[in-house]
Amino acid sequence: MSSPKVPPLSSTAAGRSDSPDVSTIVGPQGAAIAPSEISLVIDSLKKKVDADRCVYIMKRMEENRIKLSEVTHTHHKLSLERRHLRISGADQTVDLLTKRQKDAIDKQNGVNASNGDSDSTSSQEDGHASAILLGSSIAVKNAVRPIKLPEVKKLPPYTTWIFLDRNQRMTEDQSVVGRRRIYYDQNGGEALICSDSEEEAIDEEEEKKEFVDSEDYIIRMTIQQLGSSDAVLDLLGQRLSRKPSELKARYEVLVNRENAVEGSKPGNVEFDMSSLFDKDLEAALDSFDNLFCRRCLVFDCKLHGCSQDLIFPAEKHSTWNRMDEEKLPCGPHCYYRVQKVEGTAVTSSMQPNSEQKAALSSDGNGVQASRKKSNGRSLLRRLKSCQSENASSNARNISESSESETRPVHDGNSTYRLPSPRKSKLVEKRGTRQRNSKRIADHVMVAIKKRQKKLAASDSDSVPSGSLGSKDMGVRSNSHKENEEASSSSLKAKPSARRGRRKDSLVPSGDRSLQAEVPDCALKEITSDQPVISSDDKWKKEEFVDESICRQELIEFKCWRTIEKSLFEKGLEIFGRNSCLIARNLMNGMKTCAEVFYAMNCSENKLSSQGGDGTNSLGDGSRIDSNENTGTALRRRSRFLRRRGKVRRLKYSWKSAGYHSMRKRISDKKELPCRQYNPCGCQSACGKECSCLVSGTCCEKYCGCPKTCKNRFRGCHCAKSQCRSRQCPCFAAGRECDPDVCRNCWIGCGDGTLGIPGQRGDNYECRNMKLLLKQQQRVLLGRSDVSGWGAFLKNSVPKHEYLGEYTGELISHREADKRGKIYDRENSSFLFNLNDQYVLDAYRKGDKLKFANHSPVPNCYAKVIMVAGDHRVGIFAKERICAGEELFYDYRYEPDRAPAWAKKPESSGSKKEEMGPSSGRAKKLA
Amino acid sequence: MTKITLGCEPAVGSLAPSKKRDYRVTNRLQEGKRPIYAVVFNFIDSRYYNVFATVGGNRVTVYQCLEGGVIAVLQSYIDEDKDESFYTVSWACDADGTPLLVAGGINGIIRVIDAGNEKIHKSFVGHGDSVNEIRTQALRPSLVLSASKDESVRLWNVQTGICILIFAGAGGHRNEVLSVDFHPSDIYRIASCGMDNTVKIWSMKEFWTYVERSFTWEELPSQFPTKYVQFPVLIASIHTNYVDCIRWLGDFILSKVNDCLIQSVDNEFILWEPKMKEQSPGEGTVDILQKYPVPECDIWFIKLSCDFHYNTAAIGLYNSGNREGKIFVWELQTSPPSLIARLSHVQSKSPIRQTAMSFDGSTILSCCEDGTIWRWDTVATS
Repeated sequence: MSSPKVPPLSSTAAGRSDSPDVSTIVGPQGAAIAPSEISLVIDSLKKKVDADRCVYIMKRMEENRIKLSEVTHTHHKLSLERRHLRISGADQTVDLLTKRQKDAIDKQNGVNASNGDSDSTSSQEDGHASAILLGSSIAVKNAVRPIKLPEVKKLPPYTTWIFLDRNQRMTEDQSVVGRRRIYYDQNGGEALICSDSEEEAIDEEEEKKEFVDSEDYIIRMTIQQLGSSDAVLDLLGQRLSRKPSELKARYEVLVNRENAVEGSKPGNVEFDMSSLFDKDLEAALDSFDNLFCRRCLVFDCKLHGCSQDLIFPAEKHSTWNRMDEEKLPCGPHCYYRVQKVEGTAVTSSMQPNSEQKAALSSDGNGVQASRKKSNGRSLLRRLKSCQSENASSNARNISESSESETRPVHDGNSTYRLPSPRKSKLVEKRGTRQRNSKRIADHVMVAIKKRQKKLAASDSDSVPSGSLGSKDMGVRSNSHKENEEASSSSLKAKPSARRGRRKDSLVPSGDRSLQAEVPDCALKEITSDQPVISSDDKWKKEEFVDESICRQELIEFKCWRTIEKSLFEKGLEIFGRNSCLIARNLMNGMKTCAEVFYAMNCSENKLSSQGGDGTNSLGDGSRIDSNENTGTALRRRSRFLRRRGKVRRLKYSWKSAGYHSMRKRISDKKELPCRQYNPCGCQSACGKECSCLVSGTCCEKYCGCPKTCKNRFRGCHCAKSQCRSRQCPCFAAGRECDPDVCRNCWIGCGDGTLGIPGQRGDNYECRNMKLLLKQQQRVLLGRSDVSGWGAFLKNSVPKHEYLGEYTGELISHREADKRGKIYDRENSSFLFNLNDQYVLDAYRKGDKLKFANHSPVPNCYAKVIMVAGDHRVGIFAKERICAGEELFYDYRYEPDRAPAWAKKPESSGSKKEEMGPSSGRAKKLA
Repeated sequence: MTKITLGCEPAVGSLAPSKKRDYRVTNRLQEGKRPIYAVVFNFIDSRYYNVFATVGGNRVTVYQCLEGGVIAVLQSYIDEDKDESFYTVSWACDADGTPLLVAGGINGIIRVIDAGNEKIHKSFVGHGDSVNEIRTQALRPSLVLSASKDESVRLWNVQTGICILIFAGAGGHRNEVLSVDFHPSDIYRIASCGMDNTVKIWSMKEFWTYVERSFTWEELPSQFPTKYVQFPVLIASIHTNYVDCIRWLGDFILSKVNDCLIQSVDNEFILWEPKMKEQSPGEGTVDILQKYPVPECDIWFIKLSCDFHYNTAAIGLYNSGNREGKIFVWELQTSPPSLIARLSHVQSKSPIRQTAMSFDGSTILSCCEDGTIWRWDTVATS
């Protein structure tokens, strides 16, 4: 619409009424446009939209008509085919319907022929007349002898329900609050009773309506023509029943979109998979945090819901330690195996090369693998301590050098040093590398090449990018020679001596290789004109080597993708420094165990070199070496001690701490329902502001607070099978025992024989965990002897036996009041008071126990029990119940709300569906 | 009724009859004293296009339309339980073409009657409350759907007597289901509506193996692994009151909202296009295309009927004020919809419960609360 601009106000105001389409962009002066004119513009646009709509509907209808005619054609064909089914199939059986049809036609013809013959029975062979009725003289029901349909007993009424094996929280869409409900009176025929509607005052929030295309069109065109003055917007808003500000914003969006569409036609960015890997773990875990229920350990928990508040325990639980696995490699890329290969490789390479081979083979070969390892480790340890001793000066040096232009060289080094960075950690890496690459050529080569590619950018002279393998080998052999030369130098003696002194476990071969290494490195450094090389201090150099290696690893580690890094960190948190487990469980398909291992070491090194305090000295070798073993053992022991101590304290404190509030609850349970537990997130001992304390519940194992929290429920320490009376604090508090909390209550996981739960030697089994373990009785659904449906027991049970759980939807009291009104109308309620927050409703979701009827003299009782932080309703036998007996329990309706049938204990017809409407909502109580 | 945004207005049918065709009463029968709730022609088998069935009270009756306005009664069945009151009936058929009648009512027991042999074929016990409507799948006429007061819709195999699927649960209806219908060509798709004011579209695609298994099931029908379908593919809350009739018209849906006593006596059938979002089942939008007004009608539980080709539809309506039962005949597939005829008769003083249109739409039957059946035939003029 590029109509000419007409600025003068008067003319705009005066005379454009005839042709609103030509009326034009007015711009800032738009305020002066007459409303009538604006309406005209809008109207014309609207007309166009309407016309378009008509055309659209017509088109759609026509399309549908064509499609439908094909469909009906098919139906017609099918119905024609059915005509022949019988004929081709079994024509000896006479289709009575067809026969009657024919009779009727014959009769009609006969009637027409004889004209006036009454429609009394003409003798059909089976006696059934096919009467023809004209007019309404005879009632049809008297005209033919009806065929009787034998009576089938109808079911007691019920609403279709879904079986639940555990309670579910109500989802929003199930709510009846705020919905108008209309009842119709069955007795009154058509009469409709609308109720609750006034009272509820449905506050339908003005939900954000999406702009539809036609609206967009009108907005755009109108504003383009008339400008976005207030008058225009107001009127437009009136017409579209929207706010002017909303319209303005929408217009801007539209314009922007238009521009954007024009601007970026080709730039369709494709979804990149790799972007997933750049995601932070936090982001990736977001959905997990939202969907995974940490209490039930399931996704999309129906009971506790999604997006729960995350509670982080104040006490970090111990990392995973499995020592027995130590010596078994986890796979072909296990750090352990790689290392082993290195070890043998070193010795074999050493043998021909160095003069010390005799010594080496003598003490090396037998224990090579392990020795090497400890070797390397001890070396490293030494190195590290050395580092810390030498203080940060070195580190600084190194870091400076890393800033310098020598970096590419190092990178270059790394390209062939790093196939398995672990090796470079050990000082015997030179020789190692050679043999190693020969032996497990393929996988190392692959690794090298990979790395090569990665670092190709750093055009180091020592690494030709092409045929890396062979050249590399060349270089290496060269360097090896140099090594030998160097080893003949004076460098050799001192370190070995010193080292020998320092570490008794040190093996000469390690020394040798170390010696060989140092000059080699020195040579390298010389080529790169490093000032450090001139230093006399071998340690420094050595350290430098170590550091540079580490740095390479760091660089390597930096190449890890974000997600890998964060996974790695998570792995450290979960499994401790166990590369096998981290790689297998978290980094599968991303990084091998060996790679994880190196990353681990280098991050460790980094830490120690940066911190320089050596506190992290828990064995940098880090997979569980001897040192660490003792370390963890120590830690574990102390934990154990702590626990013992706590247990002891607990023994005296449970009465004072957890029990007090519990007793209160028990004693005045009659008036006060249980309180809903929500875990608190306290990070230290719970104080006044603790949500649990505020709401009057105990802290549970799901709380964030430490185990020493005074508000925790401590569980019981009952001896065998004692958790069945009020002597047991759990039982007394209306709780099930929890194997995580109670001291002696536990369950076996089976002894291997199927079906039978394993038993401890003394046949002990806690009897207060039946809801948790779902150790319930078989309940049958059947026609009640009293009325409607009833629940029956399949097998005999003794007194106090747990029969099953009363499951249902967890709804709020407000919701329950609303539903209660509806249910009262139907005179069947499945509401059950659970606690101060929730009511159980088994109307649409529940289990068979919802059909157990009320009786003033019941054989069962219901009890609300706290099971692992949740209140649940258990049904128990009040007495011995025989197989096949119907189950009854006292609904214990609040006296003022009880329906008539539940009011009088004498009333024989004790049935919920039986009597007339009751006042208010009736809810079962435990 | 949800607010209709600009540019999405439906085409509303005019109430001026086009008089393209006209009908007049050619017969009137008094079946009995009890109200007749359903009348339906047999479109399943071409032999029986002129055969129709009615239900009222505990009685199922089979008639035939003959020439000259004549109606012949062919069969009559009576439930021994006098308290039974059938609400609905549908024609179905066996694999070998045996015509079957499927009826249900207040007892919630579905009776499958073998009309070819004049005996009870099967009785389906399962619904927890009365059955409000039964419909047959035209492509597989052994499959029937039942809508019940127990808030569920169930799919049955009348041949083997199996309850295959139950459409209820988390996403199911929250009150009586009043009406249900099979999609004419998409065999997996059904729609249901009810007293919870919603229309739900369901897909059986994931459960189709069970449907196939039901045909070859050899064991007891009760041992069949009946499945719950808990989540519809679309929930449309386009009405603010009971939705008491739903029919597919190709891919579109015709549904009737009942606003009587709440807003006005002017109700309407609306034709709308469901737009499913395949990624997020349950959500979706509707586009209301056309409206067929049902003016001055203050009763509900009224069903519409179409001829075989869905060209015309007849709706019975009743106004308790002037006690007048009328029939509106709409041309369904034109845009905008046009009313063909408005049928009334001086003696038609009772609520019309249901109508039935014959194969070609030339005959309209209506059954009334007072137990009468009316036959209307086209007047062969202009």
